[in-house]
Amino acid sequence: MARYAMVLNIDRCVDCKACVIACKAEWNVPEGYSRDWVKEIGPVGEFPNLKSAVYPGLCMHCEDPPCIKVCPSGATYKDEKGRVLVDQELCIGCGYCADACPYGARYIHPDLGVVDKCTFCQPRVDAGLEPACVETCIAEARIFGDLDDPDSEVYRLVYKEGAVPLHRGEVNYGASVFYMGEKEQVELLLEKAPLRKTRFSTAGTVWRIFRPLLGVAAGLSFLGVTVAAIYQLIKGEPKIEE
Amino acid sequence: MQQVNIERLLKQDKPVPLSPEEKEYLRTHYLKKHDVIPKWTHWFNAAVWGFQLFTGSALINSTLFKFMPDWWINMVSELFGTRANLLKYHILVGIIWSVVLVVNYLFGIKNYTIPFIRRNFVLDRDDILWLINRGLGILGMKVELPPQGEYNAGQKLFAMVAIGGIIILIITGFIMSFHIGSAETVKWAIVFHFIAAGGVVAGLFVHIFMAAVLWEEHPSLASMITGKVNELYAYHNHFKWWKEMKKLELEVRERERKEYEEKAKEMGLLPEEENN
Ligand code: HEM
Repeated sequence: MARYAMVLNIDRCVDCKACVIACKAEWNVPEGYSRDWVKEIGPVGEFPNLKSAVYPGLCMHCEDPPCIKVCPSGATYKDEKGRVLVDQELCIGCGYCADACPYGARYIHPDLGVVDKCTFCQPRVDAGLEPACVETCIAEARIFGDLDDPDSEVYRLVYKEGAVPLHRGEVNYGASVFYMGEKEQVELLLEKAPLRKTRFSTAGTVWRIFRPLLGVAAGLSFLGVTVAAIYQLIKGEPKIEE
Repeated sequence: MQQVNIERLLKQDKPVPLSPEEKEYLRTHYLKKHDVIPKWTHWFNAAVWGFQLFTGSALINSTLFKFMPDWWINMVSELFGTRANLLKYHILVGIIWSVVLVVNYLFGIKNYTIPFIRRNFVLDRDDILWLINRGLGILGMKVELPPQGEYNAGQKLFAMVAIGGIIILIITGFIMSFHIGSAETVKWAIVFHFIAAGGVVAGLFVHIFMAAVLWEEHPSLASMITGKVNELYAYHNHFKWWKEMKKLELEVRERERKEYEEKAKEMGLLPEEENN
């Protein structure tokens, strides 16, 4: 077992977006879409006490991801190394998962019609390389590794240096991406980084109402038929054609 | 044997007690109920439903949507190797099914599709009464069921649910398989796909029970195989249809007899008449 994780040192991040470009190039991400991002938070406060922070982000590869719960076809899954992946052959492109992700880490590929997202560069990592964004980062703000391995750098940063996941309120799904840096900035990021409430489309709500109804209908139908069958067994075959 | 007076029975507007001779006559005579093509379409459709429900129930796999237990989902997935394979077969069979049904309905539009819809997609007064009385009957009351047509009101309702469901399933299935339209469209397609399937399944329990289990309906099951149904069953269970078909049969027979007579006359094969 392994649990891949990433630590982002926002002190070092200079908002150059090389990571975003590297990712796009590596995975042929279509124009106008992106698997990762660097956003600016702030400035907040009053001059001259302005505070701001950068918010580099990507799929947080949550331990208990809300996107998996809503995926009707089971296309979205967590692999044995803790990565949240999409089997695009199974994906039907409904986007329930994209609505469920509080980080906005998923988009529907405009040409393929299926969901696309950060894979922690699964093919590269499995081939022994680093993720493209990590390799590219000039400031070495990104550290990738196995959180289950006590000798790893990410282990040290998370468990000894206190890197924290971006959780807030109900958005608390065990993210595998952690932030560290100057305390004030990290706090600002945790407080202000844009998170979405899990959206639930009307279609999903309709299904929530109909599922129990259908269950009851099918259940009653089955029950009725069973009772009738038993009744017939007890009564025995009637005299022919009366 | 041939002394039975069918006219007497045709004059009534509901089944009446039968004499032993009448009963024997009806028991040994048959009416055609299903043509070969609808018969095969029905069994093809039933087989496809079996397969699609089997694979589909394992494809729905999320806390929000699924209704089968994990062991079932895993078992079916393993049977097909991977879940991607499972989906491929589900889609493939769905496409073949859609093509067969659409071709069937289009080619049979005059002979089967439109007559079927005309006959079975409207409920008349007797049908409504039948539904009410049938309900009361199940609750244990002794009430008379009004005479029924080719299909009784319950069968009509199921036909509507099944055919409506099939149309929805095909359309939404294509939307999901080929990611047609926006994500919002696909979201609704999923919901309707499941509602349609669930609705038909609810009806299907009763449908299969009636056909395969209930003694009284065994002639109906036989009719889906041989195409014919004995008249005694038709007389009791589908009186209005029996009357219609019987009248038609007698009319046709009468016409044929006349035509034959005329021809015979022309050819001089009826000497007595010539003597007049
Ligand atoms: C093993 C499964 C099934 C059996 C044994 C069965 C049996 C029958 C029989 C015997 C009839 C003839 C009724 C009559 O003419 O008196 C019939 C009609 C019909 N069947 Fe099935 N059937 C099966 C599955 C299905 C399925 C899966 C569907 C569609 C979802 C279906 C849809 C229909 C429809 C629409 C009719 C027309 C009459 C009606 O609505 O009852 N059947 N079936």
